[in-house]
Formats: sequence, structure tokens, C-alpha cells
Amino acid sequence: MKTPQAYINSRPFTITSSSETVLDFLQHHFGDTVVPTLCKAPNLEPIGSCRLCTVKVKNPNDKDFRMVAACHTPVTPECEIVTHSPDLKALRRHIMELILTDHPLDCIICEANGQCELQDTAAEIGINAVRYAPGKDHHHYPQDLSHPFMRSDMAKCINCYRCIEVCDQIQGDFVLNMAGRGMDSRVIKSLDSSFENSQCIACGACAQTCPTAAISDVFKFKEAAAIDQVATVCTYCGVGCNLEVSVGVDGVLSIGAPWGSEVNPGHTCLKGRYAFGFYNHRDRLRDPMIKRNGTLKPVGWEEVYQFITAKLSAIKETYGPHAVAGISSSRCTNEENYLMQKFMRAVIGTNNIDGCARLCHAPTAIGMQRTFGTGAATNSIKELELTDCILVIGANPTEAHPVTGAKIKQQAFKGKTLVVIDPRTTEMARLADYHLQLRPGTNVAVLNMMMHFIIKNNWADQEFIKERCEGYQLFKEKVLAVDVDFLSAISGVPKELASSAAKVYAQSDASMCFHGLGVTEHAQGTDAVCLIADLAMITGNIGRPGVGVNPLRGQNNVQGSADMGVQPNQGPGYLKMEDPGVRNYYQEHYGVPVPDDQGLTIPEMLDEALAGRLKALWIIGEHVLQTEPNIEKVKKALQNLDLLIVQELFPTETALQAHVVLPGASFLEKSGTFTNGERRVQRVNKVVEPIGNAKSDGQIITDIMQEMGYDQEDYDHKKVLAEITQVVPFFEGITWENLGVNGKQWPVNSDGSDTKILHTETFKIGKGRLIFKPFRESPELQKHAKKYPFILTTNRALEHYNCGTMTQRTELNELMEEDILLINPSDAAKRNMFDGELVTITSARASTQIRLQIDRSVNPGVLSTTFHFPEVLINKLSGDVYDPDSYCPEYKVIAVNINKFS
Amino acid sequence: MIRSDGQPVSLFEYQQQGGYSALEKALQSSPSDITELVKDAQLQGRGGAGFLTGVKWGFVPMGEQAPTTKYLIVNADEMEPGTFKDRLLLEGNPHQMLEGIIISAYAIQAPKSYIFLRWAYKSSANRLLTAIQEATDAGYIGKDILNSGFDLEIALHTSVGRYMCGEETGLLSALEGGRAIPRAKPPFPQISGLFGKPSIVNNVETLCCVPHIVEKGAEWFKGLSIGDGGGTKLYGASGKVNTPGIYELPLGTPLREILEEHAGGMKNGYRFRAALPGGASTDFLTEEHMDVKMDFKSVSACGSRLGTGTIIVMDNHTCPVGFVHNLEHFFAQESCGWCTPCREGLPWVERILKSIELGEGQDGDLDVLREHTSGLGPGMTFCALAPGAMAPLKSALNYFEDDFQSHIREKKCPFREN
Ligand SMILES: Cc1cc2nc3c(=O)[nH]c(=O)nc-3n(C[C@H](O)[C@H](O)[C@H](O)COP(=O)(O)O)c2cc1C
Ligand code: SF4
Ligand code: SF4
Ligand code: SF4
Ligand code: SF4
Ligand code: FES
Repeated sequence: MKTPQAYINSRPFTITSSSETVLDFLQHHFGDTVVPTLCKAPNLEPIGSCRLCTVKVKNPNDKDFRMVAACHTPVTPECEIVTHSPDLKALRRHIMELILTDHPLDCIICEANGQCELQDTAAEIGINAVRYAPGKDHHHYPQDLSHPFMRSDMAKCINCYRCIEVCDQIQGDFVLNMAGRGMDSRVIKSLDSSFENSQCIACGACAQTCPTAAISDVFKFKEAAAIDQVATVCTYCGVGCNLEVSVGVDGVLSIGAPWGSEVNPGHTCLKGRYAFGFYNHRDRLRDPMIKRNGTLKPVGWEEVYQFITAKLSAIKETYGPHAVAGISSSRCTNEENYLMQKFMRAVIGTNNIDGCARLCHAPTAIGMQRTFGTGAATNSIKELELTDCILVIGANPTEAHPVTGAKIKQQAFKGKTLVVIDPRTTEMARLADYHLQLRPGTNVAVLNMMMHFIIKNNWADQEFIKERCEGYQLFKEKVLAVDVDFLSAISGVPKELASSAAKVYAQSDASMCFHGLGVTEHAQGTDAVCLIADLAMITGNIGRPGVGVNPLRGQNNVQGSADMGVQPNQGPGYLKMEDPGVRNYYQEHYGVPVPDDQGLTIPEMLDEALAGRLKALWIIGEHVLQTEPNIEKVKKALQNLDLLIVQELFPTETALQAHVVLPGASFLEKSGTFTNGERRVQRVNKVVEPIGNAKSDGQIITDIMQEMGYDQEDYDHKKVLAEITQVVPFFEGITWENLGVNGKQWPVNSDGSDTKILHTETFKIGKGRLIFKPFRESPELQKHAKKYPFILTTNRALEHYNCGTMTQRTELNELMEEDILLINPSDAAKRNMFDGELVTITSARASTQIRLQIDRSVNPGVLSTTFHFPEVLINKLSGDVYDPDSYCPEYKVIAVNINKFS
Repeated sequence: MIRSDGQPVSLFEYQQQGGYSALEKALQSSPSDITELVKDAQLQGRGGAGFLTGVKWGFVPMGEQAPTTKYLIVNADEMEPGTFKDRLLLEGNPHQMLEGIIISAYAIQAPKSYIFLRWAYKSSANRLLTAIQEATDAGYIGKDILNSGFDLEIALHTSVGRYMCGEETGLLSALEGGRAIPRAKPPFPQISGLFGKPSIVNNVETLCCVPHIVEKGAEWFKGLSIGDGGGTKLYGASGKVNTPGIYELPLGTPLREILEEHAGGMKNGYRFRAALPGGASTDFLTEEHMDVKMDFKSVSACGSRLGTGTIIVMDNHTCPVGFVHNLEHFFAQESCGWCTPCREGLPWVERILKSIELGEGQDGDLDVLREHTSGLGPGMTFCALAPGAMAPLKSALNYFEDDFQSHIREKKCPFREN
């Protein structure tokens, strides 16, 4: 077949895609500025409002040329296109004149001056004069300064509709709209309110897309004052948004989202874009400190290194290497995590290395390794476009993974089936076709029910099971034997609902599952993950586009820290430490023998400290005194240590407990790589120098390794990455250079090609293992439910991030200033409690005061709150129930009682 | 069939005259036969554009693979200034239109139909609701209509009263509950319309023709016309004619015949100066066009459009500048504001016309107006409102330039006393 072509100003060019518009076609061959545009924005459907892109087109059957807007006219083969002619020029000038007559011409003092699309386009078109006499106009529209981040100045609006479309098509919050007709039409927020009072969640997408300064932000994102723009990756959640940081002489000016990013084209959430103010906050730790006579005193690096080396060597000498432990951080880069585990294993000689992933996705890693052989997301977020059914279990992506959440929402708007399994009526649940509002702690029960119906009704994919799985016979027997009436009663999910949800998941052409901490942070966390994997396998939803099991990673580098070997039992690349061959392999790379002990997980470290057997603990970037369960116990454990080293950005409660405090560098102050939730290894680039005397965590670890006599090369993130690619098999083909702007998804082959979808042909362990797990009631409830009849479940809000050490040092506090407890109206009524009242909640461990909000999003008997604020310190209440397989604490089920505050 | 006392034709009366027998007949043929029949009859859309109805239906996906949800939508928004033909049909004989809807919905296999009604047409609404109830009770609407296995629901939606709601895609946006904003085509509504499903939007008068075509055949329908296209047409006449009103005449009846014979000629003391042949968004025709056949093709050949066929006559005592200003005021107000040329351009046009009319016009104003007539011309704006708005202005500048000039020269409107 002849390749289709069309003529641009009489010259033939190839049409590359049948869905191309005339504008795509023109831009493809002549670049973005081939014809002027104002309403066309990247990633949005054509709008067609400005009409500047008008060209003349003559299709083969037409007698004459027609005037059409290039941006929303499909290109037809053999058509002739004229882009420039006297009448087109006159037309474009006419339009530009119309826009400018209604635009305040105060460019000189405008924030966008020099970066304004309107200015550029006007200059490009050239205007003769603005001839029209003044009359009714928009100039009197007031500015909106109400919001901590968002700004608008609608006198500068040119009614291009981009902001409205971006809020609808990308963020999916439908905040912006046009009110009024004709000349009176103007952009409004919600029902014509200010940003502050509107439903706006401050993702900033509208500010980014607005071609003028009509919508912007407090950081004057459009200002041309930047001396440099640095591409890096967000430090908050596991979505791994790419950021474009503008830097001026005094540091970071503002943050935008690159249009070319695969993860988040032109989009972020408010944390990534606006919550960077913590990086130079006055509270930042600027010097190393040593505690002498009960107070922490700033010292020099030399002194602190010597102090640490002496102490650690002495403890190792006296009590052996296993009296030392390290907690690495999912907030740090891959290189830093790699070095920390190497330090513990090769320099100290112990497997006592663990990370904060223990508290979130350890069950995912273990559950998915047991069933699939690989503990990582099987597919990529982009495949949401290809799926037919989306199952969200125990995750609240619109708050905790906002950019992915927005993408899921868009698919729901497009009519894809959405199933949500969650104890709360989250935003996602409100959009869902099926919401299974289970009692907290019954994921396993609900998954068992669903699989029971799938197998019983022959909705399973027998072919896939036969070819790709093992253990089906036994699995089937056990699943068929479950008592669905009991499971339905205990979970509170009607059988019919479970069956319908199971049916759509099983029978859709492609079903994609996402899960979060609502699955893992339970006594049966690993069990539930295994069952999710089973569900995907028995329905054939593995190994092809638009399917799979996709954990939503809490922190930016949860995936990476585990990949790098931050867990006691597995080294870099998940090789098992218990295997002598593996130890030889590491020894070859490290030049020293590596240990064969079992190593301690974080909860075990704390237990051992309490028991006096663990003497030294080095914690990087984790505020265990807010985030670990049963905080009183943690405090005692820390006090029992001979040496507590805390490497931090801020003087947290945990840091204040330490004998030595090391000031680390924030993500803006260092380079390296983060791996997002879809296995995408992305480059993090230093934007500014570390504050004060702070150093990057990688630098600190390297220095101490050298100080302790280990032959470690001077710190350079690129060299460490090169070392990792030698050690970690699935990093084989990665180089700093070939990561490019969008990174690579592991496994990366030696030729540099990466992997979007795992398990396409076989599983790493050959066949997928179907593992049945029966429901068990949480020990917390078995023990305490009588005395503490409510179930408290904890979660995160969009506005804050975990323990809030960073976000609470930004303007985000103006948006959310305290943790709030949600209670069902019927429970509140029974206890005569009011909205906004301060109440006391008590668990078997402790009690705390918290403000109440009456809300139907939780069922009777269930309470829910966030855990962001130290004032409430909700984790005082949480217990010491752990998932026995992963040692992940059960944050999501706490037996409590609630009383009026007296 | 319309009653002379202004009351609607009842179901009984309608049935007496053979009403709903076309439906019975249609349900016995295949949907595609009906579409073919309407094609053969050369029924042209009566909403203004004159597109062949059967051809339009032919774009709707049919058969096993086609979506099961499709919509037939009746455009009864009738907001075109000077147009009131649909109202007559809605109020006078709602069952005739309902029968047309059911047959047409059957032809495209749409299980749901919406009547999108102009907000101000209160009595049409009441009469439609009564008629829908009657027809439902009689088994013409609902499940398994006349044992054919075909189901249809008809719902009445009253518009909020915006001219834009009458534009095909603006109507769809409004019906979905959004702002009445037009949509880009493609995708065409026949493929992806209301809620993204295949949809047909037809004018009231168009649908009223359908039962008669089914009943009496394509040849008969074509034979009714004496011009291009088939059937009769409701022509309207307003202005200073002796008997303004609506006249059903063969399509292609000459303008002169309509105005002089049926509308009774000009009132005493008034002379014919020009006419908008089909509503406010058509170009003026003048004395020299009096013998044009009033069908879509012939009127287009004279540089105008048949539009809705409701003729607005401008007499010799009416100021063309004031007349056009009045129209542009309407259009500027009704612009939806989506695209720049229309949103910003129409208010300027209106402002200039007003100043000319007030005697404050300046040299160069006419050039600016002409610039707009091309800058807001076909293809330059997102929908057809702006080009429609430019039609009377452009033709007025052409035929009545002297009047404009004299306003500017004399710094006053010569048609006014002082
Ligand atoms: C601004 C504007 C307003 C319109 N208003 C109406 C209207 O009120 N009624 C109508 O039937 N068609 C109206 N139309 C035409 C419709 O877009 C459409 O062509 C028509 O409903 C198709 O029906 P038909 O094929 O039966 O003529 C309008 C078009 C425009 C551009
Ligand atoms: S900031 Fe985001 S949520 Fe707020 S109005 Fe803009 S696009 Fe919508
Ligand atoms: S605020 Fe900006 S993006 Fe929105 S319509 Fe106005 S100019 Fe366009
Ligand atoms: S969605 Fe996650 S990665 Fe993206 S900006 Fe927000 S917190 Fe950062
Ligand atoms: S031409 Fe006018 S009515 Fe039509 S889309 Fe543009 S602004 Fe709206
Ligand atoms: S870019 Fe095509 S109309 Fe604005």
C-alpha cells in the first residue's frame, strides 16, 4: 500500500498516523510554531477556541479551499494545505486584535512577561494596531489572592478554555468552568467562589497550562527570573512524578511538571509542585551534633566521624557485629540505600539492615515473590488506557497517589468498570461501579468470597491456569470449601455484591488491580497479597497489557530500597543471604565475606534493643517515634541503646533521642536515582547545594565506610550506580546516561531495553503458584474487641505526607492543620457527640485527644483518621500485632473506645 | 392536519384521519428500508441546513456490532428570530410528530428519544406530555410497540432558553446537563453524540414529514415539490404583509407567490425592500430575487439560504442599519463565548452598528464591519452561529451600502424623525 501523504504549501509529506489532525501533521513536519496556536495545549483534546491555527484545506473532492481550524480537523490523504497567505495573515491579525482589545496591556509589570504564550504569539503574528474604541471589557475582574498556593487574575484571561479542560481531562476535579455568555463569559471556580473556597485541590495543572498570567501560583511559576531549570523526581509518593525546578540566585523559585514526562505529563499533585518549602526551612539540621551531658551540641564532621567510628568499633569488638543494626530509608536514593546495606553487611558484618518498607509494602514483596517470584508491579500505569476493569483494594489513590489517582478517575469517567474494596467511602469508592465496604481487617475474607464465586461459576480462565499456574487442584478444593455466609457476615459485604464484582473482574477482557497499604498493613497482609495474585492468575489477568497486580508504593523509593537489598534476608537484587552461592557472589564484589545471620527486621531490632542485646542503631530518615506502632515501647527501646545515630533533615523527636545526629541532604540537594512504583528507575538531579554543613546521605555513609577502614571509592552517585549494575542482575543494562529523561523500567537488559510488563511468557519461578490462605480474625480484635468495641483505621490525606516533618514545614498546614477522626452519624448520636468536638480515644496501649467529624464515609463501628500530626500521635494507640510473614505492623486495625473529652 | 380552533388534534381525531397507520406499516418493514425510503423521498432537513435526512440516518451504525444505546433527538428549540413554524406543529398536532419520532427511532433502532423543547413553549410542553401519555397508553410508545419487539421511550426536555441550545452539538451538550457549547466534528453525532452514543438530531418539521412518506411513498412525496428536494414546506411570512402567518406549500414555491398570493402582499403604504428568506441568519434577498424558487438549492444560488423558510420582510420605512443592528444585538448576546472571533467580534460589530445608527459612525467603520464578515465567516469560527450572524450584515452592506453611508455622512439615521 502506498504510504498516505498530503501537501503542505504544495509539497508532499507523509501522514504518519491515521488519527493525525492537520495541526499534528503540520507540526510533525515543520515544528511547533508552523502556525500560531493559543488554545492548543499538550495532553489535551483539541479545544478549537482561539481559531489562530486556521489554515486553508482542499480535499481531493472539493472545488475550493476551505478555512478550517488545523487543531481539530483530521488530515485526509491527498489534501492540500496552505499555511500562509495574505488572507490567513489578515485573519490571524484580526483575531489577535480582538484578543488584545480586551487584554490589559501591562506586560511590563506582568509575572508572565517574557514567558507568555500570548505575547509570543502576538509577536509572531504581528499586529498593526488595536483599533477598537474601548467599551465593555474584562479589565475590572479582581485578582484572587485567597489561596495559599493558587492565584488568579482574570483580567488577563483570554478565554482559551485550557484551564477548564485540564481540570476536567487531567485532574478530573471539574473545579473550573465558564460562566456567562458571549463577551460576558469568564472562568469561575466551583460556583463562582475564590480558589480557597472552591473544590480546588491545588494540583496546579491549570496554572501550568494557562497561556497567560491569568492563573498562576504564589511562586510566580511563570516568571522569567530563573537562572536554571533542573529536571528531577518528586520526593513524596511512589508515583515518581518528574519535576522541573526553577532555580534563582536564592534557591528554588518554583516547580513545574515537564510536558515530556511519561509518568506525569504536565501534571503533579500539590505536594510535588508546591510543598518544597521545607528544604530551606529554619528548622533544617545544619551541623552534625553529638549529645554530651544530655544536650546535643554542633560539632565538625571530622569529630563526628571519629566519634561514630570509635563507638561502633568498640561495640562490634565487645558484643559482636550483630549488636549493630541499621535502618535505611525509602526516601533516599538507590545509591544511598545500596551503600547503607553494603555498610552493614560488608563493613559491620551483619544482616541487621532493614528499611521503612517494612512498615508498608514488605507484605507485597513477600506475597508477590511467593506467587510470581518477583515482588514488583507487574504492569505500567500507562496501561490504564488499555484496561477494561480497574480493581482498587485498600488504596486511596486520589489522596495518597494523586497523579495515578487522577488517571484512574479519568478511566472511570470514560466508562471503564471500577471496583473498590475499602472500608471507607473514598472518592474512588464514590466513582465505583461496585464498592465493597468491608469491615477493616477482612480483606482475606472478601478475596476468598470473590474467588469462591469465580471458581464455582466457571468464570476462571482455565487455559491460563493450565499453562501458567501450579497448585490449582488443591487451591480449588480449598476455595470451594470456604463458608461464604460466614465470610459475608464477618466482612459485612453482601454475597451478591462480592459475586457481581468478582464476575466483572473475571470476565472483562483486561482487568488491572491496584493495592495499597489497606492490604498490607494487616495481620494478614502477606496472605491478602498472595490472594490478590491468585485472583489475577485464575482469571488470566497477568502478563499482557492492561492487567496485573500493581502495588501503589507509599514512598518515592520503596521499590528501590528493597531492590537495593534493604532487608535482612535478601541482598541487592533480592538474592537470598542464606544461600552460600549468593554470599560468594557478594564477596566477589565486596572483597570481604558477607554475613550469614538471619538479621533483624525493624520490629525485631526494637525488641532486641529493649532486651539489651542490640547496642547500636543507625537510623536514616525515619521518625520512628511517630510512625512505628506502640510508640511508648519504641521510646523505651531507643533509650536502652548505647549508640543511637539519627540521620535527618529535621530535629524530630527521634533525632532528639539520639546520641549522634547527622544532617542529611534533601532530595533537592543531591543526585542519584529513585525507582517508582512501576519499576521505573529515574534520575534525581541536584538542584541546590546542601544547606549549612549538611551532606548527602551517600556522602556520609561513604565517609564512615572509609573511616572504618573499608576500601570504598569516593562518593559519586554515577560510580555507585555503575557498581549496582554489576551486582543487581535486573539493573544490568542501566547507565546514568541511558536513563535519559524518562528513566527505564527494570529488568533492563544488557542492550539497554527495558520492561513494561512482567511475566509475559513465564514467571521467574517457572509457573505461578496458587496459594490459598483462609481468613483469620486479627489478634488485636480477638484480644481487645470486647473492651474496645470500635475499630480505628488510619490513612493519609492529600495535603500531608506521613509524619509530616516535611509537609508541615510548608504552606500545606494552611490547608490541613490537624488530624480529624471520622465517625458514623449513628455512633455519634448514640454517644451524644457533635461535629468538631474534641474526644478521647483509647486503645489497650494508650489514649489521645482528637477532633471529631461526623461523616457517612465510615460505617457504624468504624473510626478513621490520618496519622500526620505529632499533636495527636495516633500511633501511640496502635498495637504490636504484626503480619507474621513480613513483620509489617497492623496499622489498619486498632481496637479502641471513644469517650467525650473531659 | 391542524384544527382551526387552536386546540390540538386529539389521539382519536388523529387516528380517525389514518394517524399511526404509518407506524404500523413501518414496523412491518426493516429499519433500513425506512431509511432508504426517506432517502428516495429526498426529504431535506427542515432545521435550516437542508441536509438529506435519509443520508444522515445512513451514517448511524446498525446491526449486531452497533452500540445498543442510540438516541433520536428532536430539535424543538426554535429560537431563530422570526421563526415559529415548529410551534404550530407541536401545538397543533403533537401526535403527528410523535409518530414521526417513533418511525425514525425505529429506522435507526434507537430505544430512547428526547424532545428538546424551547423553554418558552409552555403550551407545547403540556400538549406534548398529554400526547406522549395517550400514545403510551395506546401502545405506540413503550415496550414491544405493536408487537414488533421494538421498544422506545420518549422524554421531554425543556431547554434553558439559549439560541446555542438549538445548534445540533450545543443541544447535545445541554442535554447532557452541561453548558450549551458546540462540539468539534468529527466525531459526528451520528457516530458519537449524546453521552458518546450514536445520535440523530432532527428538526420537528422534518420528523413530521416522515409518517406521510411511509404512508404514501417516496414518489408521492417527491411529487409534492415543485423545486429541488421532496415534499411541502411550512413557509412563514412576517413583517408588513397583509396576512402574516405560516403556509404549507409545495417546496420550491416562488418567493413572489408566497408573499403576494398567500401572505396577501404588502400593507398599504409599505413597499417591499428586501427579505430574509429563512430566519435571522440568512442573507437578504431583494426585489431582483422575487421569482426565486424557495427550495434549498435555488435560494443558495442567489447567495442566501432557505434556512427555516420563515420569511422576514423588510419594508421601505424600516432602517436597514437599525434592522441589522437589532439582529446583531441578538447574536452578540447569544454567542456562547467559546471562540474568539465570535465572542469578541460580535460585540464590536454590534457596537459599531449602534454608533452608526446613532449618527456617530466614522469613516472606516464599514471596512471594519467587512473585515468581520470575512473574519467570522464560514470555517473561521467553531460553529455556524457567527457565520449565520454575518449573513444579514454582509448582504446588507452589499445591497444597502448607501444607507450605511448616509448614516455616517449625515451623522444621523435618515429613517428617524429628528
Ligand atoms: C446557532 C444555531 C441554532 C440552531 N437552532 C436550531 C433550532 O432551534 N431548531 C432546529 O431545528 N435547528 C437549529 N439549528 C440547526 C441544527 O444545528 C441542526 O442542523 C438541525 O437540528 C438538524 O435537523 P434537520 O436535519 O432535521 O434539519 C441551529 C443551528 C445553529 C448553528
Ligand atoms: S489547581 Fe488543579 S484542581 Fe485546582 S482548579 Fe486547577 S486544575 Fe483544577
Ligand atoms: S484562565 Fe488562562 S487557561 Fe483559563 S481560559 Fe483564561 S487564559 Fe485560558
Ligand atoms: S503524585 Fe506523588 S510523586 Fe507525584 S507530585 Fe504528588 S507526591 Fe509527588
Ligand atoms: S461561533 Fe460563537 S456560538 Fe459558535 S462556538 Fe464560537 S462563540 Fe460559540
Ligand atoms: S489552536 Fe486551533 S483553534 Fe486554537
